[in-house]
Amino acid sequence: MSENKQNPFQYNAKSWLYRRERIVTSTLRLMTYFVILCASYLFLDIIIKGAGTVFSSSFPFVNVEFLTQSPETLHVFEWQGEKMEMADSTFRNWITENGLDATSIKTETYAYSGGGILPAIIGTIMLVIGSMIIALVLGILSAIYLSEYARDTKFIRAIRLSIVNLAGVPSIVFGLFGMGLFVLFLGWGVSLIAGWFTLAFMVLPIIITASEQSLRAVPKGFREGALALGATKWQTIRTNVLPYAMPGILTSSVLSVARVAGETAPIMFTAAYAMRDKMPWEVDSFWGFLKQGVMALPYHIYVVSSKIPQNEYTARMQYGTALVFMMVVATIAILSIYLRQKARERYRW
Amino acid sequence: MNKDKQAPAQNDGRNDETAKKFRSRRLRFMGLDSDDVVRVFFGGNATLAIVVLVLIMVFLFKEGAGFVGQNARELETYRKSGLEYVDYMRVELDAYNDLPRYLTKVEAREIRYLMNEGLELEQARAQLKELNRYTMELRKTVRPLDRYIKEVSEVAINLRDQYKTYLNKAQERDNLLSDAGRASGQKAEDLQQSADAVTVNVVDLDQRRAALIEELPRYKEVNAKLRNDIEKLLTRIPDGGPHLAKEMERFREKAERFIRVSHSTEATLATWNPEKPVPFAYRITNFLFGKSWVTNSYFQDWYGVLPLLTGSVIVSLIALFFAVPLGIAGAIYVNQFASLREQKFIKPYIEFISAIPSVVIGFFGVIVWGQFVRDASGWAIFSWIPGFPISERLNAFTAGCLLALMAVPTIFTLAEDALNNVPKAFKEASLAVGATKLQTTIRIVIPTAISGMISAILLGFGRVIGETMVVLLCAGNRISIPDFSDGLSSIFQPVHTMTGLVAQEMGEVVAGSIHYRALFLVGTLLFFISLLINYMAQKIMRRYSIAEK
Repeated sequence: MSENKQNPFQYNAKSWLYRRERIVTSTLRLMTYFVILCASYLFLDIIIKGAGTVFSSSFPFVNVEFLTQSPETLHVFEWQGEKMEMADSTFRNWITENGLDATSIKTETYAYSGGGILPAIIGTIMLVIGSMIIALVLGILSAIYLSEYARDTKFIRAIRLSIVNLAGVPSIVFGLFGMGLFVLFLGWGVSLIAGWFTLAFMVLPIIITASEQSLRAVPKGFREGALALGATKWQTIRTNVLPYAMPGILTSSVLSVARVAGETAPIMFTAAYAMRDKMPWEVDSFWGFLKQGVMALPYHIYVVSSKIPQNEYTARMQYGTALVFMMVVATIAILSIYLRQKARERYRW
Repeated sequence: MNKDKQAPAQNDGRNDETAKKFRSRRLRFMGLDSDDVVRVFFGGNATLAIVVLVLIMVFLFKEGAGFVGQNARELETYRKSGLEYVDYMRVELDAYNDLPRYLTKVEAREIRYLMNEGLELEQARAQLKELNRYTMELRKTVRPLDRYIKEVSEVAINLRDQYKTYLNKAQERDNLLSDAGRASGQKAEDLQQSADAVTVNVVDLDQRRAALIEELPRYKEVNAKLRNDIEKLLTRIPDGGPHLAKEMERFREKAERFIRVSHSTEATLATWNPEKPVPFAYRITNFLFGKSWVTNSYFQDWYGVLPLLTGSVIVSLIALFFAVPLGIAGAIYVNQFASLREQKFIKPYIEFISAIPSVVIGFFGVIVWGQFVRDASGWAIFSWIPGFPISERLNAFTAGCLLALMAVPTIFTLAEDALNNVPKAFKEASLAVGATKLQTTIRIVIPTAISGMISAILLGFGRVIGETMVVLLCAGNRISIPDFSDGLSSIFQPVHTMTGLVAQEMGEVVAGSIHYRALFLVGTLLFFISLLINYMAQKIMRRYSIAEK
């Protein structure tokens, strides 16, 4: 055993090999954290600037007006040496209360900058609920058929392939289709029901694909066991397949809820109004309910950030809307990530 | 269930009976037992879903295909009414207008340069007075041509409008007449009467066009004078000093090119034939390779998708330029080097980024990022880039960066999946023979996962090119092909994209018009692009994957 015979694999911090390794690793780490930093900056910017609008420092800690009123024009004016800001309706009440002449007060008006965003919140919720019911019923049942009943023929394979491919089609194309078919061809106009169907068909391929994947992930043995005991096909599916596939299906559907809530392009010309005074339930008939256009959070953000001049008053409104919207979508997304992790822990085979 | 279990299946002789027992317990409805009903129910649903998805494609194509026929009619009218004839002159005029515009641009740049050198604005202007006066003179030379073109445009547009009215009216009468032919009795008479009531003013195209063409000598005269003037001006190009020598040389080239264009325009006009049929392929190539998208124009609308396609591709490439290194690096880092705790934090976080609605990112771009890009372009360290500081807050670069943020999660997640699918044994074997972690990653893991990573990049591309709200809000929405001769600064020009254009114009078109159809055709094109990308991603994934088993 000679002394100078070194172990060639020994860790040597100074050798080029390890130095290079450290350099590469830290570059990669830097790039990864750069992405996280960028995203965090975006989050923080919206959270910090939006919090001023959505929350308040005194009880009840949220800006009630912002969350319970409709968007209105904001009046800014000076009154007895004080600077006043009032939404349109408040302003009128104030004028009549004080017995003033509206023309005597010089106000600067800012469109969409006063009031709140309640109709947009409600509109988004209604759009999501309606379209998800349509999409989930059609999607999950189709997935069950495709994975459990359909024979593996060329035709079925072709259908499966085209469904997978449809999942990547840009949302604006679905919006175009929805506008052409529902709004114009069927004559529904810009309406809730046109938005429901457009959004539903947009997520349908995603739901079918994901649900089918989780159904197929259930081992064959589960089905064979049930069938061997004399269960019918439907009994097998109900008791031995669906319970195990459910977490996966659930995750995919929650994820598509986030997508439906977040998309703007498909509802731009099928369901969304820039401004609507009436609340969605203020209609005379059921058909009238379906045929009404609604306000929606994403479209509202688009309108206030591109169609009106920018100033500090509109910025407040924009950030507030963006924060509320982000919170809605983030809650859904976090729920789905949580569900997926839970599901992975629970079912293992 | 319980009853099923009791059913005996004791020996072969009683098999039929057993089967009967099983069957008899099931409820039957129209010859189907409950299981069949369930199956039919599911099958019906699946059929419905598939029918709907097929319907989407059919509808999209149908509306898009309508464009081809309508476009043919438009192009024919364009030619027959003499608009094309006038357009040749307008092209010449555009080529001319490029000259003074170029000089103005040079002047503005020079003033900025002089001011950087420490001169006051007034002093700089005084120094360039000669150039300024020269530009003025140049602008004056074109006036006769300008006036002449305005005149003939007026004539041609008038003719076009009359011709279109004539076509519409004739169509209306034909429809009524054919209805009358099919109907009988009183109704037929009514229809016949209303058909007769339609006044069709036959437009004598030939004669009217002849009036247009007869003017050719006057045009030639005006044109010759213009050429003459320019040649005269060229003999005394102002000497802007050695600093401007290159620009002045470029101007001379441009002016000479214009003179050539002017000659060739005359030649084209002399041989112009209004009755030449529009070639069939041109109806489509006019859309696919048309360089201008002009709508609601008083002259002639053009639906050429090229500027939009270029815009989409530029924005996507900028996005991928940032997103690919970041996404792939993130995936490699998280999968190979990160500690377990880092992994648990980074993965959900980056996946969470993909849940940010695109309109929020677009909003952020309008309010914060665009402003930042413009401010940053004024910083001293970027002064070497030509065209800096930029004037437009919203441009291809602004949108591209934001899209990169959206593409990173897609690329990261899919690439990480691909790395994860590399069999553990590969890695362990490599480590066992003494390779370091980095060597293993580069030589073993990445080559194995490369197909998955490429398809991840492709799908990221698909996501970016189909994105609407960010580009609509942040790309600047100017329909023109960027001037690539400006080098790096050409990515800081505003562009319009296919998705953004559809979103912007769809709200205001008349259903069934050619504009409406053109937008559907753009949608169809987008559809095919995304299908192609998806298909390629799948193909690459399947073909080159060795990590499956």
